[in-house]
Amino acid sequence: MKRSELSEFAVEEEGFKLKIRRGGNGQPLVSSGRGSNSPFIALPDLPPTAAAQPAVQAPATSAAPSAPKEEEGVGYIKSPMVGTFYRAASPESKPFAEPGTKVVETTVVCIIEAMKIMNEIQAEAKGTILEVLVENGQPVEYGQRLFKIKQG
Amino acid sequence: MIQKILIANRGEIALRIVRACRELGIKTLAVYSEADVQSLHVQLADEAICIGGPKSADSYLRADRIISAAEIADVDAIHPGYGFLSENAKFAEQCESCNIKFIGPKSKSIKMMGDKAVAKDTVKKAGVPTVPGSDGPVENEAEAIKVARKVGYPVIIKAVAGGGGRGMRIAHNDISFAKEYHVARGEAEKAFGNGAVYIERYIEKPRHIEFQILGDSHGKILHLGERDCSVQRRHQKLIEESPSPFLTSDLRKKMGKAAIRAAEAADYENAGTIEFLVDAKGNFYFIEMNTRIQVEHPVTEECTGIDLIKQQIRVANGEKLDFDQGDIKFEKHAIECRINAEDPSRNFAPSPGTIGLYYPPGGHGIRIDSHAYSGYVIPPYYDSMIGKLISFGSTRKVALERMYRALSEYLIRGIKTTIPLHKAIMADPVFIEGKATTAYMEDFMNRTPPDLFS
Repeated sequence: MKRSELSEFAVEEEGFKLKIRRGGNGQPLVSSGRGSNSPFIALPDLPPTAAAQPAVQAPATSAAPSAPKEEEGVGYIKSPMVGTFYRAASPESKPFAEPGTKVVETTVVCIIEAMKIMNEIQAEAKGTILEVLVENGQPVEYGQRLFKIKQG
Repeated sequence: MIQKILIANRGEIALRIVRACRELGIKTLAVYSEADVQSLHVQLADEAICIGGPKSADSYLRADRIISAAEIADVDAIHPGYGFLSENAKFAEQCESCNIKFIGPKSKSIKMMGDKAVAKDTVKKAGVPTVPGSDGPVENEAEAIKVARKVGYPVIIKAVAGGGGRGMRIAHNDISFAKEYHVARGEAEKAFGNGAVYIERYIEKPRHIEFQILGDSHGKILHLGERDCSVQRRHQKLIEESPSPFLTSDLRKKMGKAAIRAAEAADYENAGTIEFLVDAKGNFYFIEMNTRIQVEHPVTEECTGIDLIKQQIRVANGEKLDFDQGDIKFEKHAIECRINAEDPSRNFAPSPGTIGLYYPPGGHGIRIDSHAYSGYVIPPYYDSMIGKLISFGSTRKVALERMYRALSEYLIRGIKTTIPLHKAIMADPVFIEGKATTAYMEDFMNRTPPDLFS
């Protein structure tokens, strides 16, 4: 798994806390509020996803820690597949989307490479990119939040 | 050297595989659907990757996403569990071409045994007794009815692409045959995408006795004894035990040898099961081979003391089986009850929902293979099995008494389960005497007042 350039990363959500920090020998140290003792490699944006998710059966998500409260008109572009996230078509190209980029449903916002195939991922929403939530070259899972977007 | 395994499954079997990997010092990657975020094995695995939405077709059956996850997490092998993609020859092939070890047999063995008519033909040529019937799929109704008359009624019409008790219809005479034949074809087309059917004599009140096979990649194939799985409802197993109360040691030797011949004919490697029907006279007939680890594998594990999942991983790693047929002893009697989230009083309607209090039994001679816990929400998208309760002891009587005792302690509040049903069966004279055949459940339900098992 590709490692990010971050040296420290912390996430706190209702009932759940996660902190990852590079240790002295360069290995990530992970502590999580779930009390697991063994280190695990966590993909930074951990499931479960929150209210922005299309309505799954309520019982399936009720036991999950809840996500932060959503602001008005803010949504997320989520990964429709498992693979490696790239911000641009090639290492030399400009990124498809930056904070401030205006997108419509068919705008290509990134590439996800799965099994040697480069898939162009469309925004499937109309609005303005607020934040890029994953790193270039980072492995992503299904449903993982890629971009924060202000809808409209 | 296998150092990391992706578990392409869920529920209790995924947990089972995580445990075996832990003991072998192998890292685990759980792939899961959005409905399984809170699943126990996802929490316990070293890594976890979400591969899709709640429906199986959108997640656990997505071979592309599973292989993608395997690549980004750099795994060495995939354990497919049972169900889902475990008997999908194409998936096994994809793993092979991506240089990821598929923990199971070669894809060509899966393909061969996956076509039930080809499987039957293959083992027949190896001298394994099979049920009299058509030689392969029947072309049309005219041919089918000819076979039926030759073989003698009653007959069973089976889907070539079926298995696991699905896609089967019984006909008792010419008149009902026409109708059942067309229904069977239609159901097969719908369920498996292949309407081809074959015809067999229907053996009345048989026992379902299957043999566990284990083969390595160096040509050694052994059998680990039988499991009697006669207690079934609508062809779904409820209770399994090893050894079978019906087999003599002679019949066991004969059937064991036949099972090995069948596995050899399939050029088999890793774990698999040969299923037989056995009539009251002790005649046995091959019906199908399951080219995967099975739900009821713990029964064989407790009877023989051999850890089947670890052996699967070792075989996949290229290691030789370090024991021979003569080393395998059937030292304990083991019984397994499948605990389903179903309501027996409502015709076994599924009962998904939140488990309030979960308190499993324990003590000497009891094993629980379950992913359930207090507060667990059972998703409605998958099968209803929430766990397996296994009892074992030096004799069948001890195993039965332990099972009854354990079922009495087992608390699962908030949903309906089949625990009371199993308890009633453990107290039933016919089962206690070891006389259950595949006709048992229907008879039991007919003569037992419902309030005794709900």
